[in-house]
Amino acid sequence: MKWLHNILEVFREELHNSIFDEGVIVFFFVVPLLYPLLYAYLYGHETVREVPTVVVDLANSTTSREFLRKVDATADVEIVGHCADMQEAKDLIHRRKAHCLIYIPVEFDYALMEGRQAVVELYSDMGSMLYYKAVLASCTEVSLAMNQDIKTQRLVGATEKQASTFAYPIKYEYVPMFNTQSGFATFLIPAVLVMVIQQTMVLGIGMMAGEETEKKRRGILEPHVIGKKPIEMLFGKSAAYLAIYAVISAYVFCLVPRWFHLAQIGHWTDLVAFLFPYLLACLFFSMTLSGIAHNREVFIIMFVFVSVPLLFISGISWPTCSVPEFWKVVSWLFPSTFGINGYVKINSMGAVLRDVKPELIGLWIQTIVYGITAWLLYYRSYGKHLKDIIEVAEERLQARWADYL
Amino acid sequence: MNSETTEKKGVWRVVQREVARMLSQPVYVFCMVVAPLIGFLFFTTLMGKGLPMDIPVGVVDEDNTSITRQVLRNLDAFQQTAIVKQYANFGEAREAMQQGKIYAFYYIPEGTTELALSSKQPTVSFYTNAAYLIPASLEYRDMKTMAELASGAIARETLYAKGYADSQVMGILQPIKMEMHAISNPGLNYSQYLSNILLPAMLMLLIFQVTIYSIHSEVKEGTSKHWLELADNNIYKALAGKLLPQLLVWMVMGATYLVLLYAYWDFPLKSGLWPMALASLLLIVVSQAFGVFLCEALPSLRWALSIATLWGVLSFPISGFSFPQIAFPAPLKALSYLFPLRHYYLIYVDQALNGLPLHYSWVNYAALLVFLALPLLFPNRLKKCLLEYQYTR
Repeated sequence: MKWLHNILEVFREELHNSIFDEGVIVFFFVVPLLYPLLYAYLYGHETVREVPTVVVDLANSTTSREFLRKVDATADVEIVGHCADMQEAKDLIHRRKAHCLIYIPVEFDYALMEGRQAVVELYSDMGSMLYYKAVLASCTEVSLAMNQDIKTQRLVGATEKQASTFAYPIKYEYVPMFNTQSGFATFLIPAVLVMVIQQTMVLGIGMMAGEETEKKRRGILEPHVIGKKPIEMLFGKSAAYLAIYAVISAYVFCLVPRWFHLAQIGHWTDLVAFLFPYLLACLFFSMTLSGIAHNREVFIIMFVFVSVPLLFISGISWPTCSVPEFWKVVSWLFPSTFGINGYVKINSMGAVLRDVKPELIGLWIQTIVYGITAWLLYYRSYGKHLKDIIEVAEERLQARWADYL
Repeated sequence: MNSETTEKKGVWRVVQREVARMLSQPVYVFCMVVAPLIGFLFFTTLMGKGLPMDIPVGVVDEDNTSITRQVLRNLDAFQQTAIVKQYANFGEAREAMQQGKIYAFYYIPEGTTELALSSKQPTVSFYTNAAYLIPASLEYRDMKTMAELASGAIARETLYAKGYADSQVMGILQPIKMEMHAISNPGLNYSQYLSNILLPAMLMLLIFQVTIYSIHSEVKEGTSKHWLELADNNIYKALAGKLLPQLLVWMVMGATYLVLLYAYWDFPLKSGLWPMALASLLLIVVSQAFGVFLCEALPSLRWALSIATLWGVLSFPISGFSFPQIAFPAPLKALSYLFPLRHYYLIYVDQALNGLPLHYSWVNYAALLVFLALPLLFPNRLKKCLLEYQYTR
């Protein structure tokens, strides 16, 4: 049982190192604890309400005022000013007092009286797509309701029901599933949670590996490394990181969504069965990458900027079907791609394990491939060269002893 | 006179030394040239056309008559929609959606045609997967247009038959009509909407980190004293000599993204080039200044880098370019102004998108200048750190 003893020793030392190293604490604990909270708080309102809107009502009739009153009453639009002309209204938008503009021309009333189509013009500042959505949805909703009444008047002798059927022989109903208010938090936070796990693991493990490389260069060797096989190092370290991330995952995937009332409709056994290979894939991916960490900090500056492209490449915002072939293949190199899609499907869409089969297979393949590369890497750093390094270390130790004596 | 010549020589020698450092350490080449270019290239090629095309959509047609098939053919003709499969029932379609095979599906219940023909106004439902927000909202738009067109076509024919004139028909079908104008982005191009901020933001993040790394790694490697000596022990000269060659590289990268955005893609640039070029230059210099400020405030490489990372990554959402700032909780609304990217974004909206006179954005230009002054707060702390700090782990 020597091997088990060895693995346990590496496990204990590695756990100790992670918990008592300031830099590593930041990535293993502080970021995973704080980031989800920040994001959930930021997107807490889910969508933009009461977008400040100005109005130029040249018709100024009972109907136009009724229209505006009803628009103002919707949740998404708030009328903050009535202007005499377009110039004045645009100026308010330019000074950021408003983001949208509703323009009702003089013809509006004539058209209505003559039975022609009356046009209301809407303008939106495209600094955000959500302004556009808010004003268009609210005004359309109000106009549909008002059209109903006008139609009934115009089609002589028709009842309200008949008028409605006449214009819309078939009614269309829109149902946004899995995110009923089309909210930002429900859509983005799950992806951020999954991403945080991968990114912090890469940074933390990279930092620890960098530290070891730095020390080796100075001829210092952690005592627990001596006498261990590479495979024992691999298992011992993996166990330590897994133990830490099991706790972190419980927090990130269970507590955070609960606190912020995000959708959690997946079954917990499916979630665990999916997140386990995700953690393994991230772990071995990080260990493989850490092979190029020749000092503690280099990883941070080389890997952080990747987070945003990775979020896009995963298909959570830009749909996978429109991602070019080349980037799709690149995206398969990262556990986050499968992780995000699988987690969103299970957690937000209530999928079961067999629905996420492609993602699951992807993660297990990554686990195996990156597991092998990580082992090869450990073989290189703890197997072959270890003897040389130990010799150097021993020489230095003897020299120091000689000084001491 | 004499001292002035040695001063000049001092800065120049630091510059030479810095160029040699940048060329000898691959991490600089990677983070200053390779990484930004990969990032730019990524977003250029990812969202090439600006809108996702042929989003896969499913159909559950329980009615299956010539009329329902016509409705579906109409929908398939839309550029952004591709009907990929018919499902036997609601459950199967929902499962396909959960597996990510389709982003939306139509549900046409049995008897729809019969009800429609007997004027009983049946309901056709359209389900989108709103967990994927962008495809869902695009699909919603296509569905809505289609519904208007399909209903309109039938009703129009009836009205003409009854002898109504052209001008009256639309007045009956849709008495009040909304006409939407998306100022400066009529096609709702997502690439324009996102890339204009994503590219500078990525560059900013890299500048934060490279600046900090290049200063604090000197402490770590024990070369910081030599660096200061070359600059006559003057912290300003030392920083100038170090940051100038980096600034040149960053400016080339900044120009690259400006060319990509406004020449290659031809995104709106109503103000002309100079206001945005100025904003980009300011963002670059401010990012450097912010890096220096963090080095002064936190005399340790890993802490400065960690905070820079936090600030840099948080800049993306808090600048308000995707989820608008007016929807933030109040404390974060206030906090957002402490992020240079927020000001860059506001300048972009005023200048490139809306083409306003420069004075509308002066507050934001001024705010960027304030960030520029941050390193002047406590330069001596940094000097002390360079001279005395011992790197421990």
